[in-house]
Amino acid sequence: MAVRKMLDIPVNRVEGDLELRLEVADGVVVDAWSTGTMFRGFERLLVGRGALDGLVVTPRICGICSTTHLMAAAKALDAVTGAVVPDNGVRLRNLALMVEHVQSDVRHGILMFLADYANPAYAHLPLHDEAVRRYAPLAGEAVVEAVRETKRIIEIIAMIGGQWPHSSFMVPGGLSYGPQVTELLQCRHVLDAYRAWYERRILGCSIERWMAVDSLAALDAWLEEAQAHRDSDVGFLLRFGRAAGLDKLGGGHGTFLSSGSLDLPAETAARGTGGHLIPAGFARGIAVEAFDPAAISEHVAASWYAGQDGGRHPSEGETEPYASGEEGRRYSWVKAARYRGGPAETGPLAERVVAGDPLFTDLLARQGANALARELARLTRPATLLPTMAVWLSEVVASGGRDVYVNPGPVTDGEGCGMIQAARGSLGHWVTVRQGRIERYQIITPTGWNGSPRDSGGVRGPWEEALIGTPVADADNPVEVGHVIRSFDPCLVCSVHTVRKGRTMGRARLEA
Amino acid sequence: MSFLNSESPDVLQLFSSLGINVLHHPSLSNSSATQQASQLEVLGAGELPLDILVVEGAVLRGPAGTGMYDTRGRRPKKDIVAALARQARFVVAAGTCASFGGFGAQTEIEATGLQFNRAEPGGFLGADFRSGAGLPVINLSGCPCHPHVLAGTLTALVTGTELSLDQFNRPLSWYSMMVHQGCTRNEYHEYRVEEETFGEKGCLFFHMGCHGPLVTGPCNKLLWNQRSSKTRAGVPCFGCTSPDFPQNHPFFHTRNIEGIPLDLPNGINRAHYMVYKVMAAAAAPERLRQRRTEI
Repeated sequence: MAVRKMLDIPVNRVEGDLELRLEVADGVVVDAWSTGTMFRGFERLLVGRGALDGLVVTPRICGICSTTHLMAAAKALDAVTGAVVPDNGVRLRNLALMVEHVQSDVRHGILMFLADYANPAYAHLPLHDEAVRRYAPLAGEAVVEAVRETKRIIEIIAMIGGQWPHSSFMVPGGLSYGPQVTELLQCRHVLDAYRAWYERRILGCSIERWMAVDSLAALDAWLEEAQAHRDSDVGFLLRFGRAAGLDKLGGGHGTFLSSGSLDLPAETAARGTGGHLIPAGFARGIAVEAFDPAAISEHVAASWYAGQDGGRHPSEGETEPYASGEEGRRYSWVKAARYRGGPAETGPLAERVVAGDPLFTDLLARQGANALARELARLTRPATLLPTMAVWLSEVVASGGRDVYVNPGPVTDGEGCGMIQAARGSLGHWVTVRQGRIERYQIITPTGWNGSPRDSGGVRGPWEEALIGTPVADADNPVEVGHVIRSFDPCLVCSVHTVRKGRTMGRARLEA
Repeated sequence: MSFLNSESPDVLQLFSSLGINVLHHPSLSNSSATQQASQLEVLGAGELPLDILVVEGAVLRGPAGTGMYDTRGRRPKKDIVAALARQARFVVAAGTCASFGGFGAQTEIEATGLQFNRAEPGGFLGADFRSGAGLPVINLSGCPCHPHVLAGTLTALVTGTELSLDQFNRPLSWYSMMVHQGCTRNEYHEYRVEEETFGEKGCLFFHMGCHGPLVTGPCNKLLWNQRSSKTRAGVPCFGCTSPDFPQNHPFFHTRNIEGIPLDLPNGINRAHYMVYKVMAAAAAPERLRQRRTEI
């Protein structure tokens, strides 16, 4: 007879507060419930405030994606006012957002994901000593470098928008003020230096060489090709990850969403799809279809909210905390975001699948989604962004740097939506303004997709599903669970609206 | 995350040069949940010395005082904060939420700062609380707290350097200067050359809701990310170091009486100020009126 037990696991090294309840049978996860443990209520706090206040309040939801929330808030207000942002405004907004992404991808990869390679659970692996030397928290060689370099790239956001995190320099119509062209030239030095470091340490090769890796076979060949490739962080991610079996962990539903991001300026040398550098789309497996924002809904059947059964579009959503007596059914105040009624994972891997990237399409076709592919997509995403960042920066410099704002007039009445890709995936802000005040504000974050609880149909959220089948060798140190969860790069601070009442659900808590 | 942007020293250099052993950090530590739980127990029992407790984020007391809006292992996190604060030699509140409650104060989540609730002394630990070293909670307000302020405070505590505190228990070194000191728009402020819309050169105080002359903080002295500040980039100061942050009235808007801001720089006589600003505007040189002076 199978040995079944329940595990309650607080997960650290994620942004925010996450607890998992796992049902484990014979050392393998057979069911999972994901709970954020903190209710913050930012959306409710915005109701009744000034029309522009989302620009100040929403960046403060999160210290990592501050600029990203600002972009979504500004785009929602662009839509309300009908503002047409001038090309340099578009370029500099994009550049700032991309800086946030390329620092976040590296910080997550090195400080949060690869730190698990230094876990004592892997002491038996030949690569473990090297993993400790590289990724030990606060001390590893790669950690020291990542802290230093990611800090420098952020100087670009400060030169454009004053500070990072928590500035409010994107406003309906463009930017609050345009940097001088000499400051933009400084940005170029900072960008060039980051790219050089990223190529040398993270990739171990030029971005051009990396982008030529277009299949699983080509990835293997790349690893074989040079010691520098194997020694890079990407090389080590792969070598250790395969030895530890991470390419066989964390499958999930196999549905992927990208809402599209980084609007192309009217005139630019950069190439994109459908007006975006990062294309929009939805994929089942590797079959990609067009993205329809109207197909998004949020369920609260398993969430601590008062409200309807079934889904509701975020433009009509409510955020009413509701600690009911339905203890057995409701277990998270992360709402369940759904697309055409079903769950979808979002993030760098989803972006690459939707974009039809040959490497990740091949990886998925051969292996299915997995924790290693997810993190590989994240750690190599800067390779897809850094060249275009240089293009846009040059274009702003060439046009003199100014013309970043067109006044769209006062924000009085209207509805607007700002959907972009955050570092962790699809982010949407929906705002309704009446008589200069916010009447409604709803946000769906990437973790609202990835870390969602069950929906009205009882279907698990993406990382709940991805945990099914995960082995748990040591209940006191469930490192495998950490890999699966962290491969989604959870950000609970953005997503939780959670209150957790004391309850047992008839299950024992496993004490250490 | 802002703290990771500290420069000379960076965070890791800071810890190693001061000999700080980081027992736990939610985003960086590699210990398992079981190890963390036993460490919390040992710390709470005073069996492992806790020199410095740094708290980020407000203490959530809702709903109805239970603290169950913010839990760890189905235990209110506020209980953990209380247990650790009792054992710590120094307690530091990093950011406005931990200092004064911030966004969640006066809302359904019943957030409070550690020793203040907005400007009211008391907060979670009570006005009389003193840490092991005999000090109140040291408040490093700001949203976020400037990384150098946190690094500087930790350095002072570890090296036994005395920090004089203001009425809100913030170190005077950083909180006795106005945010607008050092703003590159000061010329425009001085002569009341005003910005009325985004994208212009001019002072943001008179129309755009800037709190630079109203609140204290080192933004324009230390600068952010070694480079700039919001006000330099045309973003009004929102007064995020203030116990009253966030304000209830709309951002990006200055409340006026007769064209003069309702909220005037601390300690100023309104009548004198009005006369001074009328004369200053009249004296504004052409290079400012024509917005030729760079920011």
